[in-house]
Amino acid sequence: MVRDVPLLALSGVTKTFPNGTVALAGVDLTIQPGRVHGLLGANGAGKSTLIKILSGALAPTGGDIRWRGERVSWTRPQAPREAGVATIYQHIPLVPTLTALENILLDQRAFLRHRADDRQRIGDVVASLGHPFDLDDLAGDLPIGARQMISIAQALAGGADLVVMDEPTASLAGDERQTVYDTIRRLAREEGKAILFVSHFLDEIMALTDEVTILRDGRAVLHAETADLDEARIAETIAGRAITALGRRKTRSEPGPVRLEVDAVASPGKLAPTSFTLRQGEILGIAGVLGSGRSELMHAIFGADAHATGTVRLDGAEIGRYTDEAVAAGLALVPEDRAGQGFVPQMDIARNVGLGVMAQSGAGVRRVDAKDERRCAENAIRRLGIKTPGPHALVTELSGGNAQKVVVAKWLTDRTRVLLLDEPTAGIDIGARTDILLLVRGLADEGLPVILVSSEFEELLAICDRILVMRDGRVIGEADPNETSETDLTLMAGGGDRAPAGAPA
Amino acid sequence: MTRTDDLPRIFGLREAGVYYALLILLFALAAIASSRGLPPYLSGQNLGNIAYQASLIGIMGVAMTVMLITGAFDLSVASVAALSAAVLVGLAGSIGFVPAVFAALCTAAAIGLLNGAIVQFVGINAFIVTLGTLTAVRGLVLVLTGGRSLMVEDPDVLAQMLAFESTRVPLFIAGILLSAVLLGTAVWKRRPLMGAAGLCIGALILLAGPGFAVAAPVIYLAIFTLIMWALLGFTTIGRRLYAVGGNAEAARLSGINVHAYKLGAFVLSSVAAGFAGVLFGSRLGAINPTALQGAELTVIAAAILGGTSLFGGAGSVVKTVIGALLLFTLTNGFNVLNLGANYQGLIEGIVVVAAAAIYTVGGQRRVGKPKRADTAPDAPPVSEGASA
Repeated sequence: MVRDVPLLALSGVTKTFPNGTVALAGVDLTIQPGRVHGLLGANGAGKSTLIKILSGALAPTGGDIRWRGERVSWTRPQAPREAGVATIYQHIPLVPTLTALENILLDQRAFLRHRADDRQRIGDVVASLGHPFDLDDLAGDLPIGARQMISIAQALAGGADLVVMDEPTASLAGDERQTVYDTIRRLAREEGKAILFVSHFLDEIMALTDEVTILRDGRAVLHAETADLDEARIAETIAGRAITALGRRKTRSEPGPVRLEVDAVASPGKLAPTSFTLRQGEILGIAGVLGSGRSELMHAIFGADAHATGTVRLDGAEIGRYTDEAVAAGLALVPEDRAGQGFVPQMDIARNVGLGVMAQSGAGVRRVDAKDERRCAENAIRRLGIKTPGPHALVTELSGGNAQKVVVAKWLTDRTRVLLLDEPTAGIDIGARTDILLLVRGLADEGLPVILVSSEFEELLAICDRILVMRDGRVIGEADPNETSETDLTLMAGGGDRAPAGAPA
Repeated sequence: MTRTDDLPRIFGLREAGVYYALLILLFALAAIASSRGLPPYLSGQNLGNIAYQASLIGIMGVAMTVMLITGAFDLSVASVAALSAAVLVGLAGSIGFVPAVFAALCTAAAIGLLNGAIVQFVGINAFIVTLGTLTAVRGLVLVLTGGRSLMVEDPDVLAQMLAFESTRVPLFIAGILLSAVLLGTAVWKRRPLMGAAGLCIGALILLAGPGFAVAAPVIYLAIFTLIMWALLGFTTIGRRLYAVGGNAEAARLSGINVHAYKLGAFVLSSVAAGFAGVLFGSRLGAINPTALQGAELTVIAAAILGGTSLFGGAGSVVKTVIGALLLFTLTNGFNVLNLGANYQGLIEGIVVVAAAAIYTVGGQRRVGKPKRADTAPDAPPVSEGASA
């Protein structure tokens, strides 16, 4: 349904920052009502800048934006919102101490609050979303999926015609994602809203969108109907090269001696007693959705859970139940939330990388060798292909994929004897993802035992020797990657009945 | 390692502002003094006085900086210092000077441990806990002293105290040497800031003249600052402290014993306050129960002037000492030049807020947009089969 006048048309939009960085080098984008438009690109391709321009947070330095055919220049966030563009960010800015209703009404201008018709109106909007939450629930008490719904409701209550969604599903579990998908489809088909959907997940782009625009290096390098594309083509266009398809690991290494023994490790209320062993050079996958206990298992093994019980032995020696003892013994954890748990924002790359070897050398006082630290960081930058001006850049200045590489680099030392990776590829672009997975495979081939937690089952199948499937805080089975399909894993991890994750079994 | 392209940052307002502020203030006051025909302001006597007046706050400020780096807060320092002084003055007559110092420092350490344990293991915010101990410890001082001033009667002990606190140390030769060492290291290691510091110290020492001497507390402050500066900058302890304050969870998952470092900062802060109290008690051999009341705010102001972040993960002990010197130069200038003591509080408050504003605005500029290292604008658009 192509109309004469598109809802929103960008032509040749550019954005150059005062420091000379060219974030957008001329982007054309046309958005039609009633259609879901996918926007893809690697980290640093310009997606975030484009979204900020559409939401009025940044002003473009050149080009033309037309809203319903009229040229507009939005320089403050209220302007696009009043015109009918609502933006839903990945990290949802809600006030946790206010109710859902109050949060939805936050951006309304009316002076008096809680008028009955407001409540009625918002109630209708929420009902049209399928009642994902109660109006009087506190936003802070709601699961993340419901909070996502609050911001969608906020967008609709504001009368938006175009809803821009920045990776709305990145932090959601399977069934919550499904709710978001259904909502998006209904908004486009039944209410004629236009959706600009930004995502890293190729499968949801394929399933959900009508047309796709791909950004690379600040330009729109591809615009096509989704039906004319396939995932491989999209992935290639994003990366700008034919990615070395991460095929399944053909040559499995010979099983070496047992290195790590996990014996009845449990955490009250979060993790049922779990036992397994890990061999030299083996990559053990943990498949599970959010809330299945996979991170809890990692933390319990790593001594990061004060309530955990059970024993962990590395090469026969029992490891203490605190992180400093685990690290000194040679365990290394790349945690799930890289900004919250992975790096220290005030420190540069070299110092963050240096944290790993420092902790592995024990708690004693030693001189910090700045030159050595810098050399290690430079090695890591080369080995992992971290895109940065140098080892003294702050990690916060890097894109997500590069920041994650810094967190991984922290543990690329001689003293790392077991590597635990908790969702190392979440929310990063396909290029960085491939780099990290190839690195992990290389480390395992050199003999390092690895545990890899991922909700990208395709990754697990590609590089793991063995896969444990977790659900509801326990291991429910083991899968052989040679004989298992992604669908099988999804069914096992999600439960055939798609029971909500974390619900009592 | 310093690179030349870092020069604008190293000498920028955010990094070096507090040094400029102190120098500008010193020379402004010197200019006013000479224009009014007063004795030279930058005399050895007066510079020594400023350093002496700033020394107690400086010692507490250095420990407070370590505290703030770990992301916590200690409001109780002035009360702890008063308690330590009371313990010293109360016990010195009966058990002797050195054992009384030991008792005073142990008392202070115990309060630090208590503060830290409540914050870490009960999980109450450090602001609230130390606000409580600020009041409670001051109450304890009143209980111990019965609300009256205490003083040391024994003349021998009094003499020991004075020797500990009021000995004057000639500093002309040492100052010239320090300046030379700084300049030498600056050239050798290519550290421009250190070179500038060497030049300034050398110039001030020459201005002060060969008779330049300072009281012992200034030396104690210098030694303490040097130790903490080296610990923070060059050892794994310092690195861990910064990591704990920058992101405690990341530090914990990197195998750092976060509790130990946070607890250690509380104990250090209290022991430093206790030492400041020992110096304060030794100064007059007497203690008034309201002594040092409100000094904790001056301590925190000095740390803020030095650019220490209240959110943890950043701060420099040297700059905190400079911040303390700046505050006491203001006070001293108002007194010596008789500029109207009524304006003093107003000016000091404005200086602190202005400093914080410079650091905040400068900080936002530093953490600007990420630079893209992968600029490849030659990528041709893939347009075949696309409905452009």
